[in-house]
Amino acid sequence: MTQSHPDGPFIDPAAAGLADTMVALPPQRRGDGWRRAWRSMVRGRWPLLALFILALLILAAILGPTISPLDPNRQNIMTRLEAPMVADRAGHVKFFLGSDGLGRDVLSRLLYGARVSLLVGVTAIVIGGSLGVALGLISGYFGGWTDDVIMRIGDIQLAFPFVLMAIMFLVVLGPGVFNLILVLGIGQWITYARIVRAQTLSLREKEFVEAARALGASHASIMFVTILPNVIAPLTVIASFNIASVILAEAALSFLGLGVPPSVPTWGSMLAESRDQLIANKWWLAVFPGMAIVLTVLAFNIIGDWLRDFLDPRLKSNG
Amino acid sequence: MRQFKYALVFAGAVMGVPHAVLATPAADTIVVGLSADIDTLDPAEISSRDASNIAEHIFTTLSSISVDGKVTPRLSDSYTVSDDGKSYTYHIPPGHTCSDGEALTAEDVAYSFNRAADPANNFTGNTPGFIFTSIDFKGATAPDPEHVVINVGIKSSMTPGFLTEVFIHCKDSYEKMSLEDASTKPVASGPYKLVSWTPGSEIVLQKWQDPGNFKTIDYRIIPEASTRTAELLTGNVDIITNVSPDQLDAIDNSGVARVEKVQGTRRMYVGFNQSTSFTGKGAEAIRKADVRRALQYAVDVPTICKQLLNFDCERATSLVNPPQGNPDLKPYPYDPEMAGKLLDAAGYPKDANGVRFEITLQAGRGRYLNDANVVLAVGQYLTDIGVKTNVELMDWASVYVPLIRKHEAGPMFFLGSGGGLWSALYDMSDLATVDSGPNYTNWDDPRWFDGWKQIEAAKTPEEERAVINEMLKVFHDDGPWLLMYFQPDFYGVSNRIDWQARRDEVVELFDAKLASK
Repeated sequence: MTQSHPDGPFIDPAAAGLADTMVALPPQRRGDGWRRAWRSMVRGRWPLLALFILALLILAAILGPTISPLDPNRQNIMTRLEAPMVADRAGHVKFFLGSDGLGRDVLSRLLYGARVSLLVGVTAIVIGGSLGVALGLISGYFGGWTDDVIMRIGDIQLAFPFVLMAIMFLVVLGPGVFNLILVLGIGQWITYARIVRAQTLSLREKEFVEAARALGASHASIMFVTILPNVIAPLTVIASFNIASVILAEAALSFLGLGVPPSVPTWGSMLAESRDQLIANKWWLAVFPGMAIVLTVLAFNIIGDWLRDFLDPRLKSNG
Repeated sequence: MRQFKYALVFAGAVMGVPHAVLATPAADTIVVGLSADIDTLDPAEISSRDASNIAEHIFTTLSSISVDGKVTPRLSDSYTVSDDGKSYTYHIPPGHTCSDGEALTAEDVAYSFNRAADPANNFTGNTPGFIFTSIDFKGATAPDPEHVVINVGIKSSMTPGFLTEVFIHCKDSYEKMSLEDASTKPVASGPYKLVSWTPGSEIVLQKWQDPGNFKTIDYRIIPEASTRTAELLTGNVDIITNVSPDQLDAIDNSGVARVEKVQGTRRMYVGFNQSTSFTGKGAEAIRKADVRRALQYAVDVPTICKQLLNFDCERATSLVNPPQGNPDLKPYPYDPEMAGKLLDAAGYPKDANGVRFEITLQAGRGRYLNDANVVLAVGQYLTDIGVKTNVELMDWASVYVPLIRKHEAGPMFFLGSGGGLWSALYDMSDLATVDSGPNYTNWDDPRWFDGWKQIEAAKTPEEERAVINEMLKVFHDDGPWLLMYFQPDFYGVSNRIDWQARRDEVVELFDAKLASK
């Protein structure tokens, strides 16, 4: 049985041997896991808060078009830069969180922005994760030159600063939601590939894999049916952290004007648009999207921390 | 406890010292914050306004344009024009030198012109690319050390004005230099010489002859508008260009700086690129003059000026700066109903979704005042009348400029073109020929382009004016621009400095001085 990391915080799930832990856990009744997870969350309190924030985010993303008070793209330059909660002559508040430089409603844009942030975060992780898992399995299972080629490609990619690479691709491909997701997804694959490869290298020698091989299972079947379920747990932890960093990357690229088109409201582009207004004391243009990004990233990170501790409680006691 | 005391003393010291004292430049130095970097100081390669403003202090010119738009003497004290109007003889008084000690004579002036035109050098700057093509430059000779003769192929009243933009430099020093050295190590003929240049960061000039009140001019490259403003307010810079319209009040209310607001000469427009390389209903629609005219009514330009530029403006009637424009032309009013009626009549009624046609409007980001918001607002106005406009905002330097240069931006695009006050023809020369570099719309209306021959044939200024007015009417009625505004210029100026902004984007610092207490 592998030991937890001596330096405390969880760094490499492969080193921590989470898959071994999962394999070694005794069989449980259906529903036991969920109940344990819930109890663990309630005990921790912070994960519960994070879950609440994420639930709000998901609700905002799903119900955005229904609950947003105004069309997020509707401009009215006569009502630009109105402060939050300012009532008109009839006592009616039109912009609860203020209006931006083109008279668009900040609240509506925040709600729509949640949709883009989640879409980009989750889809990019699915793309990067799928690619990384497949290549990691192939790399670890076959070893030899296949392993060398895949890992060296990953090393080359890691040698480029990610934001620089993303800018390069987006300048060539052009901005847009699809291209952004593609770039962010491709940028993540190596993280997953390395973890899965390390796990696969150890698992391919295990008895249950040998047994599957002896029963005549194909390579694909062994990789995706026998080995893959045993590496899912560490991947879940990594993915939860990764979503946060992808959301941040989306915000950064949108801030640089390389994210989505101007007609699509995103938190990053809202921040970018607030740059010139900060010195003019239009604080609401930066504070609200900034808070949205901070809370979302924080929530994903707390969930990631909790998942790590929950899946391998030994780390918590040492950390 | 002792550490706490030290902390208190330190905090008190920091808070007690006024920021301005910490940051103010030396009394013999003026610091200017520019929004864009420069790429060359070769006098024949310079093409950007910022580079030109720096070069203005390093190199002299035959004459210059005064604040009120008149051609005034500089290196030369007088000139004569031949009877056919195609040969200009300038007198160069003796006694001028370059910063390396070489005498500056008529021969150097002729060399400066001929070097810029030499095809072997393959220069593409403002002098060969715009000035020489506009006047059809033929060559320059120096019959004696005090006279230079400049020959042009077109008789035009605007030639003396154009010649003010050609930078003069000394022959011997530049003949010895490689092109690379010429672009980074200029030998000055003007009052200041280059001391250091850190690309992307700073350019420092030092005075070596009159005029000029400051010993050192320090140009700092500060691309981000808020940072420029912050630098001004903390006293690190004395003058900043391109102040964001939303920061005017912050500067004016700061007590340490003010905003100099001037009606600029840069013509802002939305171009209708009529190239057949664009396909689709929208691209085809804007090739029709009726449609272009209809769209003029759809955009509320004065409101855009007021709300997004913090400036009251009158909408442009043509590409010529007032008061040189056609006085009979009235700006298009904002009348969306009229726009709708004209589009119906042109064969573009609304469909079931309220859309007449769809079109793309491209723009660079960060080059002009509040440009992204202006473009988005134009897109909204057009969408409101059923022209579904997809706005594409691009990085200015790396993406948009190459598209513009290849005449491939569009079908609609947002752009500004530098203008002048001293001649209508200067502003009109953007469209000197169908193939002119600045004709980014591929417009080819013969009523306009044939007008140039009539201008050349005109015998009196009145005859010329009549042709100009007729051409400007064609441009107003059926032209390739959705007419917008002449961009105001906002300069942030420290209260430490006395300096007056000009309308033509020229940032001249010879007369700038420390403010009297």
